[in-house]
Amino acid sequence: MSLPDQAAVQTQIASFETELTHARTARDAQAVRDRYLGRKNSVVASWMQLISSAALEDKKALGQRANELKQSIEARWAAYQASADQHARPSGAIDVTLPGRAPTLGRRHPLTLVRDRMEGIFTRMGFAIVEGPEIEDEWHCFDALNMPAEHPARDMQDTLYLATPVLGESRRADDKRTMLRTHTSSIQVRYMQAHQPPVRIVAPGRVYRRDDLDLTHTPMFTQMEGLAVGDGISLADLKGTLTAFAREMFSPSALVRFRPSFFPYTEPSAEVDISCWQCEGAGCAMCKRTGWIEIGGCGMVHPAVFEAVGYDAERYTGFAFGIGIERVAILRHQVQDIRLFFENDLRFLEQFPY
Amino acid sequence: MRVLVSWLRDFVAVTASPEELAERLGLRGFEVASVEPAPDGVRPPWAQMAAGLDGVIDFEVTANRPDCLSVLGFAREVSTLYNLPLRLVTPVTAARVPNVEVSLPVVAVTIEDAERCPRYAAAMTAVTATTSPRWMVARLEAAGVRAISPFVDITNYVLMELGHPMHAFDFAKLSGGRIRVRRATPGETMTTLDGVKRELDTEMLVIADADRAQAVAGVMGGGSSEVSAATRVVVFESAYFQPASVRRTSKRLQLKTEASSRFERGVDIHAPVVALERALELTELIGAGRRGAVVDRYPSPRSPRTIVLRGARIGLILGLTIPDADVERILGSLGLALTRRADGWNVEVPAFRVDLLREIDLIEEVGRHHGFERLEPTFPPMSMAAAPADPRISRDRAIRTTLAAAGLTEAVTFGFIQSATARRFLRADDATQLVTIANPLTALFDVLRPSIVPGLLDVLAHNRRHGRRDVAIFEIGARFTIAHGERRAVGLAWTGAASTEHWSGSGREVDFFDVKGAIERLCDMLRVPVHWTPTAAPYLTAGESAAIMAGDSVIGIAGLMVPKIVDEHGAPKQDDVFVAELDLEALEAARASGVARETMGGADETVRPLPRFPFVVRDLSIVVSEALSADTIRGTIQTAAEGAPAPLASIAFFDRYKGKGVAEDCVSLSVRLTFQSAERTLTDVDVQQSFDRVRAALVQTHGAVQR
Ligand SMILES: [Zn+2]
Repeated sequence: MSLPDQAAVQTQIASFETELTHARTARDAQAVRDRYLGRKNSVVASWMQLISSAALEDKKALGQRANELKQSIEARWAAYQASADQHARPSGAIDVTLPGRAPTLGRRHPLTLVRDRMEGIFTRMGFAIVEGPEIEDEWHCFDALNMPAEHPARDMQDTLYLATPVLGESRRADDKRTMLRTHTSSIQVRYMQAHQPPVRIVAPGRVYRRDDLDLTHTPMFTQMEGLAVGDGISLADLKGTLTAFAREMFSPSALVRFRPSFFPYTEPSAEVDISCWQCEGAGCAMCKRTGWIEIGGCGMVHPAVFEAVGYDAERYTGFAFGIGIERVAILRHQVQDIRLFFENDLRFLEQFPY
Repeated sequence: MRVLVSWLRDFVAVTASPEELAERLGLRGFEVASVEPAPDGVRPPWAQMAAGLDGVIDFEVTANRPDCLSVLGFAREVSTLYNLPLRLVTPVTAARVPNVEVSLPVVAVTIEDAERCPRYAAAMTAVTATTSPRWMVARLEAAGVRAISPFVDITNYVLMELGHPMHAFDFAKLSGGRIRVRRATPGETMTTLDGVKRELDTEMLVIADADRAQAVAGVMGGGSSEVSAATRVVVFESAYFQPASVRRTSKRLQLKTEASSRFERGVDIHAPVVALERALELTELIGAGRRGAVVDRYPSPRSPRTIVLRGARIGLILGLTIPDADVERILGSLGLALTRRADGWNVEVPAFRVDLLREIDLIEEVGRHHGFERLEPTFPPMSMAAAPADPRISRDRAIRTTLAAAGLTEAVTFGFIQSATARRFLRADDATQLVTIANPLTALFDVLRPSIVPGLLDVLAHNRRHGRRDVAIFEIGARFTIAHGERRAVGLAWTGAASTEHWSGSGREVDFFDVKGAIERLCDMLRVPVHWTPTAAPYLTAGESAAIMAGDSVIGIAGLMVPKIVDEHGAPKQDDVFVAELDLEALEAARASGVARETMGGADETVRPLPRFPFVVRDLSIVVSEALSADTIRGTIQTAAEGAPAPLASIAFFDRYKGKGVAEDCVSLSVRLTFQSAERTLTDVDVQQSFDRVRAALVQTHGAVQR
């Protein structure tokens, strides 16, 4: 028998490891260990024996190799034992890598998830969430909002009307609903009729417009309109409120910009832009190179609205805003086509968390 | 409104680039649709500037600013924005009345309806040329108007420049040399410039000659008095028509023009004469003709509107302090006249600003030009706790999480559907119950949905077409009928597997009881006990449909869809599609009326003490007629156990068997009875007595045979 060389040390270590990996049971593993480290007839024992019979000049090198082998295998055995729990595979063991039997979970719609998130933000800012009817009368949807009959602004709203009036939830004969609400501002009117200031509400819900279906329009969509009325509420307060919303919804460093605009029920009125959170204002595809993204409209409640609901327009001031929930969802989730929200393809819906 | 920068510079000496103007005006309320280079030839001799600095900016003008449907309107905004003086078109004064062609006849103007036409001015012109200069043609084209002939071009030029609509008549075609501003006569018709014969009504204002209508006032002229190559004398019309009257006429005739859209929003009542003078000036400038007499009928001149603006109110509304000098500069530059008063100013509003009606409108103007970008964000102080949310919010959230946890995915579908589809989901196919939309955009959306289910079937079919075998969906939303108005409901539709497929092979197809289970879990969560009775509905399969009852009221329906309707929605008709729908308002009513469990929910949310004494379970297996319902058996057991020594705590059906060893029309049922007393430990004797009573009752009432 030739004397084991340095390569033989590595070969023995490798074969020990291979055998150990193939050991099915703890007993198998112990047998492998004994073959290499046992007192008698083991690999290490036979190497030790070789030292005594080796030539004097070989003894030192051989002793070093035998010791190296012994220590290496002992170290590997200790490591194996330390993780023996994981390696052990008793007979009848299950394959833990097979798929689990998960309870079937459906998903909530992305518009619900976004709406819930928005409701959470505004609730923490002291806004109560209020709902209202989808079929409305023109007084609550237009007249009370400073859009009397024949007002040109009514043309801005492509309204869907009912062929015959339907009784409202009060079931009173004079509570006749004639149209589908074009905005949830009608909820705010109903709320102000029933409550005195201070008022701080958000009104989410579906609204309807006589619009074709395309990439960016649907005849039904969901809005969240906010209203705060009290003593000394200002346009700067509106900017602060919307900034707080934008920072939680989109980016902690978001800025809000007001561009003057026109809505009959607010004065002053503005479009609300948020600084683009993707390019930090430098200009990118999402913000169409402007650095700003429009998310809704807002303004100070027009005194005529307060007069219509019987508030003291001299004492109270207030702000109102409207944000499209689809718009927020599109921006947050980079949805390319608004129709996806209403097509309800499960391959789309299942991309959102439970 | 397409604004040519070099044209703008006729009024204000701004040197900014078109891009800069676009951006800065964009922040002053004028959204920019596009910025384009200026076409060639748009600069007349007096308007020389580097071509690179010229351009056409297309602004969107909001409905409240008809004054900005003009170059002049934008010039005023630019002069305020850049703090530059505005060069107005010089009004003609008596001292500088130019030479008038005295040989020209004068049209006789009478206003017969001063309410609809408070002012009507006209001017005579002798025609000397028939082409417009290149710069005028080019400027009109830059503004989006096609050049036609000098006199039409001049009216369009004035329209674009000053925003005041004018009209040109061929004087020779005006019978009697007269203009009568009157209402149309019954049955009167007129062919407008677009060649359409219009039927007029007596509420419509027309411009007539001695015989007939020659123009629909403020909307469109007529073909018969149109200026042509043969025209020798032109009559320019420049008037003020009542906005509501023009709006109504334009709507009735379904005819919207540049003129009507300006008149209906309101033009400047002082503009008729200014515009007329500008038209005459241009006529002579381009050598198109010589001016004749001007006629101005303005029976009751209006006095300007004065508004009090309080300095303190500006700060209160905007939340921003603006120095008085800035307020005065901004409003003054916009053409308003301010005089000081103790608490602010008396502000006289020029007639072209029809949108400035009260103090708040002035505050907006101050804020707009001071710049909203200067607002420092603040937060409104809270003076009281937030009001509670609408209770439906938390209820609907709980419904969504419960149904999603039961494996159903939420869908959102439109509130309107097709009437042919909707009819099938009415109880008695009573189409008069449908809430119809008067002006639907398409027949696909012509009624409000009477049920959530049809929309869900469309979603189900969409997913089936896209390779989805298993679809389980729900929606919460409003549904509508004439009789019940708007009601909120939750609907669900389910086809394919009852649960996710697993390698261990426990898969099963959905059946009625999966849907029933989901609804029961939902009602349990909402703490409304329900029971189910067989029912019929035109869209559900007979024998596999049930009404969901709370007490005596129907609060919902569930069952297997009729295959034909599944097919019509575009899903395979061999699919078993189970649907259910709950009326959430009926459910709330049931809850409010005390049907809710006594011990839970509603007013009484008190927890029951845990039982102190052990329970005893006895199983009972019986063979009964298959026709006997589980509810009936349950009722018999409950009645029999009443007053028995061992109180019956619960009844559970745990097995149902049909087949070998059981007669043809019979079924073997296994029932688990749990006995428990709140006062004592039950003895075997107590339990046996109760058990025997139940068994005897089942034998006696239903002929049950114990197995
Ligand atoms: Zn960007």
